[in-house]
Amino acid sequence: MIQKTVIVRLERCVGCMQCMIRCAEAHSQSKTLAEAIREPILAKPRIHLGVGPEGRPFPNKCRHCEPAPCQDACMPWAIRDDIAPGLKVVDPTRCIGCGMCAMACPYYVIRFYRDAGAPERPSVAIKCDGCHERVAAGGIPACVTACKTGALAFEEVNLYLKEGTNRLAQAAYGVHS
Amino acid sequence: MAKHDLSAYSICEDAQAMLAKANKDGVETVWDRLKAQEPQCGFCELGLSCRNCVMGPCRIDPFGDGPQRGVCGADADVIVARNFGRMVAAGAAAHSDHGRDLVETLLAIGEGSTTDYAIRDEAKLRRIAEEVGLDVAGKETKAVALALAEQFYEDFGSRRGSVSFIDRVPAKRRALWETLGITPRGIDREVVEMMHRTHMGVDNDAVNICLHAARLSLADGWAGSMIATELSDVIFGTPTPRPSKVNLGVLKEDQVNILVHGHSPIVSEMILAAVRDPALVAKAKAAGASGINLAGLCCTGNELLMRQGIPMAGNHLMTELALVTGAVEVIVVDYQCIMPSLVTVAGCYHSRIVTTSPKAKFTGATHIAFDTQNAKQKAVEVVELAIERFKERDPARVDIPVEPVDIMSGFSNEAVLTALGGTAAPLIEAIKAGSIRGAVGIVGCNNPKVKHDYQNVNLIRECIKRDLLVLVTGCVTVSAGKQGLLVPEAAELAGPGLASVCKALGIPPVLHVGSCVDNSRIMQLCAMLATALGVDISDLPVAAAAPEWYSEKAATIGLYAVASGIFTVLGVNPPILGSKAVTDLAVSGLEGVVGASFAVEGDPVKAADLIDARIRTKRQALGLKP
Repeated sequence: MIQKTVIVRLERCVGCMQCMIRCAEAHSQSKTLAEAIREPILAKPRIHLGVGPEGRPFPNKCRHCEPAPCQDACMPWAIRDDIAPGLKVVDPTRCIGCGMCAMACPYYVIRFYRDAGAPERPSVAIKCDGCHERVAAGGIPACVTACKTGALAFEEVNLYLKEGTNRLAQAAYGVHS
Repeated sequence: MAKHDLSAYSICEDAQAMLAKANKDGVETVWDRLKAQEPQCGFCELGLSCRNCVMGPCRIDPFGDGPQRGVCGADADVIVARNFGRMVAAGAAAHSDHGRDLVETLLAIGEGSTTDYAIRDEAKLRRIAEEVGLDVAGKETKAVALALAEQFYEDFGSRRGSVSFIDRVPAKRRALWETLGITPRGIDREVVEMMHRTHMGVDNDAVNICLHAARLSLADGWAGSMIATELSDVIFGTPTPRPSKVNLGVLKEDQVNILVHGHSPIVSEMILAAVRDPALVAKAKAAGASGINLAGLCCTGNELLMRQGIPMAGNHLMTELALVTGAVEVIVVDYQCIMPSLVTVAGCYHSRIVTTSPKAKFTGATHIAFDTQNAKQKAVEVVELAIERFKERDPARVDIPVEPVDIMSGFSNEAVLTALGGTAAPLIEAIKAGSIRGAVGIVGCNNPKVKHDYQNVNLIRECIKRDLLVLVTGCVTVSAGKQGLLVPEAAELAGPGLASVCKALGIPPVLHVGSCVDNSRIMQLCAMLATALGVDISDLPVAAAAPEWYSEKAATIGLYAVASGIFTVLGVNPPILGSKAVTDLAVSGLEGVVGASFAVEGDPVKAADLIDARIRTKRQALGLKP
């Protein structure tokens, strides 16, 4: 199976934060922005903007590494790879909020908040789940849907790189697209 | 256009047919552009983005993960209130600047500097002048016109404590506004003050901003719009009931088709005069047409429909599709709600967009500048251009998809009172008896976010079924008319009480009362009823709804309705939900302040339930059977 993933094209990001707000909406109970912001446990974005030099934006999210340092560090086996193929998905009912995963993650993409999936717990790990439910239903991740500039794309990695190679080849011969 | 099921976009047969043709012709429409924009900005949708200064732009994170204050320190409540305040200011500015154009025309008539415009309803001129305190006895028409123009000019300024029509407001309501400090003082003043207050570092209390928004909206409803309505009647005639037709079928395959689009009657009335000019009709015939056909779009269409019975081709979302028929030579516009895309769509056919106002130019359109001195001559130029364009029409690309539907229009308050025998007493008796349980103003626009005309039409159907008399203005007029609701025969669809009244009077259960500035007619009617009953407007069994609203003007109308005491249901969320304080104020808090509030409900049956419950409560409070 050819797996698509979220690819970041940093040079296109304008820092609008639409990916963040639509990510939180997609992970709310109601899936509707106007209602999501009134839910007792607010959903949280799983993609974040880092601030680079001169305020330049840097969209940052889970890479779903394999092997995944977060998964290796997780004692209660809350970071699962049996929920959606190729994705590391936090099971909030198993998470004890110990923070080991976040310490192990080299990309700083895990945050800790209350989650409607385990309302009795004060704080669990929140991170990108690849929008596996949306993808299974034939959709694409919410952050990609939200992105107006093409900074986030949902594509198959090698196909994307192959197209890049072709663009480079054109450029090498003086043809710029 | 991705969706192949075109019924998902509109309930109208003509819209669906023209969407299919647009696809075939490769024409991009408003629905394509909405799709390209989706998902739209979540911060803006909630009112949580602020561009008022360049310490920003700022956004508040509604999920609590990111910033909760802008750079200046404004929180979600302040940012939402400031944005909403500016929205209301823009709406009031639009209606009122339109109103000012009527005052300028009246002044030109009074000064004798125009021969193109005249007073068509002198009795109303004198009546209004007397009403606002002018001495008209023994004065000639021009002198009265001049004095009234001067009087209304002052309403735009800041030297008065209140606007001229304040005496129309029932005493209880006026006292309430005084207590709250929201009596409208001057139209431009309230708009300017809102721009001032929402500058960084001025008004930083959400409730205080919202109260000024209310005052500002009242300056529109009881002054800017009301002046526009009344002076349009004075200059172009007070509407009386008359038959007409609606939908794209009003276009004629063998004639030069000219559409008027925009809001004011100042340009469209002159175009009407020109299309009736025998010399121009002869020119059209020489060009191979059997005549010249004029029809309306949007509110200037409503103005001509109300006063002249000119047919309506469509409402807001039909404006591009009218061009897709390939049968339109010229759309001549003034201002407001004219999608810039029309120039592009016209370019796909032989059609031309003609702009007329110095304040509304469109790149790519033909600009023919109208003023009070040259209007008749310029209108001739527009018609001549249309005749030239007719010669370029490609008959193979013409498709007029439907037959027109009959409607009845022209229900000014004066006409309604005349129909009732001179006073509102029979209407009050019908309300007391319960044959008419109440009245609902269903007004506003179309919005591509909701299925075209679906909410407008179905809310009307639900209301008349419940014996609620419906008054429509603006784009809702076309929605109702196309579904056969604006004819006396539609009484069959009403509840037994309303049906019996309609049949006795020979009127439709849905009365067309005008354009969007003519919502002021509804305000005046409510005020008359309340004053006759010795109660406040908020005590009346009335409600309002804007099911498919999109514009800033609609926000202003909604707010002046609520601030005047009328419960108002919106079918599309206003951009205020990012603030719990402002949202709570809008949907409940205002009830305790001005005796009415907003509700948001996109399902027309549920919206009708809300309205019904409201009217039930109000009837019971008046001691009437619910």
